[in-house]
Amino acid sequence: MAISRGGALVASVRTEPRTFNRFAARDSSTDLVATLTQARLVRINKQTQEVEPWLAERWTSSDDGRQVTLTLRRNVAFSDGQPFTADDVLFTFEAAYDPRAATVLADSLEVNGRKLEVTAPDPHTVVITFPAPFAPGVRLLDNLPILPRHKLDAALKRGAFASAWGLSTPPSDVVGLGPFVVAEYVPGQRLVFARNPHYWRTAPDGTPLPYLDRLTVDVVPDQNAQLLRLTAGQLDVTDGEIPAESYATVKRAADAGRVKIVDLGVTLDADGLWFNLKPGAFAKDPRAAWLQRDELRRAISLAVDRQAFANTVLFGAGEPVYGPETRANKKWYWSGTPKTPYDPAAAKALLATLGLTDRNGDGNVEDTSGAPARFTVVTQKGRPRLERGASVLREDLQKIGIGVDVVALDGPAVFERIVSGQYEAIYFHPVRSDTDPAISPDFWFSSGTAHLWNIGEQKPATEWEARIDALMTRQIASRDEAERKRLFDEVQRIFIEHAPVLYLAAPRVIVAMSSRVVNAAPAVALSPLLWSPDTLAVVH
Amino acid sequence: MTTFVLRRLAFAALLVFGVSSASLVLARLGEGDYVSGSLGIEARRETVAQARARYGLDKSIGQQYRDWLGRAVRLDFGTSLLYDRPVRALVPERAANTAILAISGLLLATAVGLPLGIVSGSRRRGMIAGAIRAFSIVFLSLPPLLTSLVLIFVAARTGWFPISGIRTAIGSRAAALDVLHHLVVPATALALPMAALFERLQAQAMSEVVGEPFVLAAMARGVPRTRIVWRDALKASLRPVAAVYGLVIGTLLSGSFAVEVMTSWPGLGNLMLDALRARDVYLVAGCAGAGAMFLAFGTLMSDLALATVDPRARE
Repeated sequence: MAISRGGALVASVRTEPRTFNRFAARDSSTDLVATLTQARLVRINKQTQEVEPWLAERWTSSDDGRQVTLTLRRNVAFSDGQPFTADDVLFTFEAAYDPRAATVLADSLEVNGRKLEVTAPDPHTVVITFPAPFAPGVRLLDNLPILPRHKLDAALKRGAFASAWGLSTPPSDVVGLGPFVVAEYVPGQRLVFARNPHYWRTAPDGTPLPYLDRLTVDVVPDQNAQLLRLTAGQLDVTDGEIPAESYATVKRAADAGRVKIVDLGVTLDADGLWFNLKPGAFAKDPRAAWLQRDELRRAISLAVDRQAFANTVLFGAGEPVYGPETRANKKWYWSGTPKTPYDPAAAKALLATLGLTDRNGDGNVEDTSGAPARFTVVTQKGRPRLERGASVLREDLQKIGIGVDVVALDGPAVFERIVSGQYEAIYFHPVRSDTDPAISPDFWFSSGTAHLWNIGEQKPATEWEARIDALMTRQIASRDEAERKRLFDEVQRIFIEHAPVLYLAAPRVIVAMSSRVVNAAPAVALSPLLWSPDTLAVVH
Repeated sequence: MTTFVLRRLAFAALLVFGVSSASLVLARLGEGDYVSGSLGIEARRETVAQARARYGLDKSIGQQYRDWLGRAVRLDFGTSLLYDRPVRALVPERAANTAILAISGLLLATAVGLPLGIVSGSRRRGMIAGAIRAFSIVFLSLPPLLTSLVLIFVAARTGWFPISGIRTAIGSRAAALDVLHHLVVPATALALPMAALFERLQAQAMSEVVGEPFVLAAMARGVPRTRIVWRDALKASLRPVAAVYGLVIGTLLSGSFAVEVMTSWPGLGNLMLDALRARDVYLVAGCAGAGAMFLAFGTLMSDLALATVDPRARE
């Protein structure tokens, strides 16, 4: 079908963005607004997972890989017509690192806890120096929307950048290099985006992009209402995937020709169970003898029938997962990942090595003092998949005699528990920033803020965490991609052996769009259908 | 009567103050806060601390409450953390949408419930009265949440009405007509249980009035039955419904919350839900205060109606 320019598309999000300033918030709706209205120096193509030129049309690296020289596209202008230059890139880094602004992007723009050094020898060249060898190089820049100095410099200078471009900002003041501009914001209802007349990209046939004249993002808080609107033709795309429990409904609409369904395969991040492994967390608790031991986690891994877990929790729209990466991570998934069998007898044998056996014949295991083996799993309320998963875990562990109490809390409370270390076990959906492990050092390094099972260790608490730290240090620095792969395979091997996070099953990402949407590029990403908005088109 | 109204207004002010204060404190007492929810687990401790200081969440609950109270007496209820807008501007905007939905639901319920109550109350036997009674009992036992689900399903299958929202994103329909079109599903969902309540009350009152001597006497004089029912008996039977009308207004808000969430109606219910999810303490307090105002208004209306028909209620 030929793609024609024009037309309007209606998408939906479940929550309103918190701001128009991506530097001030990291929620998915704010990120979507940035994707629509801003552009970055490079872009990670969510389908290929590779870096591609964006505002920087090419780049070269120094021999040691620490310095990258980027050449910016010429004749690119912001949506208000002001030219884009290297000065805007300098400003963007200044804003990101400004301590008064405390931006949410600052952490992700550091290597080994140190900032990048950015200079601009001329208006079309930017030189970035990494503080240490950094293998992913410019990949890091996919996180960074380039902002207009002429619009935000004053706010930054007076220390008001964090509150700049709030939702009460007149839409015309929100200026960017993305395919759309904010045309209207109706609180609680919708955001309307119009074509950016100065957008710099063209289609391969020379057609100026974006194809769409207008993109409306309706706020529909209830996911069922979202899907009903989609199947009723009142919506073209939603901001996420179809939950497993709604698949049958959407499939019927697809069979009737009202929507198109795309199965993108397994997702990148699986739901995981982890225990609080902070040394001393259970110092005064007799369960300390077994609650933090590797054997317990291995026993749980053996006690869960992952295929049955995927069938029940994900209604069959998922697959078993045995390690920290899923097959969706094309480059970094370890093909040698061992498949833990379902073996409750072996699980019970492992529990026995911890002194946990059924001493009174009631079917539950007890420790050496006769106290029943029982722990509490915290999960997030209002996330049906997580609540189902925690419930199935409880049933599976009951079969090997371990009692589990599930406590569902709302999002902020779960985050608070994780950060403060006030929990026994958590079942949650942690998300990593990128497919390249070097972009998520906070998860892998023992000192990391997202090192879930023991956040912010001063020094590695265990020998195997020290080994992962050492391997990741080399993995991040190496310029040899084969070597990096080998090192990360080893990291995954150690991770699976000690299972600080137990991954059991991952859902398949299934997305749906109205049959009038054409040229979509669905991908396993935060916004599977909207990550590349300039090439989306509709039949009109 | 003036003293009576002033007393009720003072009570309303106390109710709003009490509910807002309790909401603010309770929202702060819960685990986690706006910053932990919005920055997530991966944010650095310094970033989190700076954000908490910016929003005043680093203060003790007592200090934060005192600051809020100090501003609230000047009608400044703080700035929403979530929307970065003054609560004073945000809440009335959404309350207006809730009022549109609630008033439409009330009018629809009155227009449907009262006549049906008159019909079923004036004819105790017969298929029509039986059918009306049966439908009323069904809708009375259905919460608005469930009614919304059924209506949304019907709207989705038939495509007759929009499923959610208040305005169409793209279209040339006049604004008022467009809102009316969007109102059909939520207002009907809200109205049906209320209409059933009015029908039952009106039917009960009507069945009592049609047995009164003045009605029997009129019938004996040969006045047509329809005229007696719709003119004389109706007037006498309206009092019980009028008395509960105010209370219904007060409870409308809680019913409309569920409908708003299901149909994405951008009213106070949805705003309150967003505020609670994000732990936006100032917005939670603002929404709860607005909810209390609705309740106080409803109670005042009810009291005034009662005081009008029964002077003893003014004591």
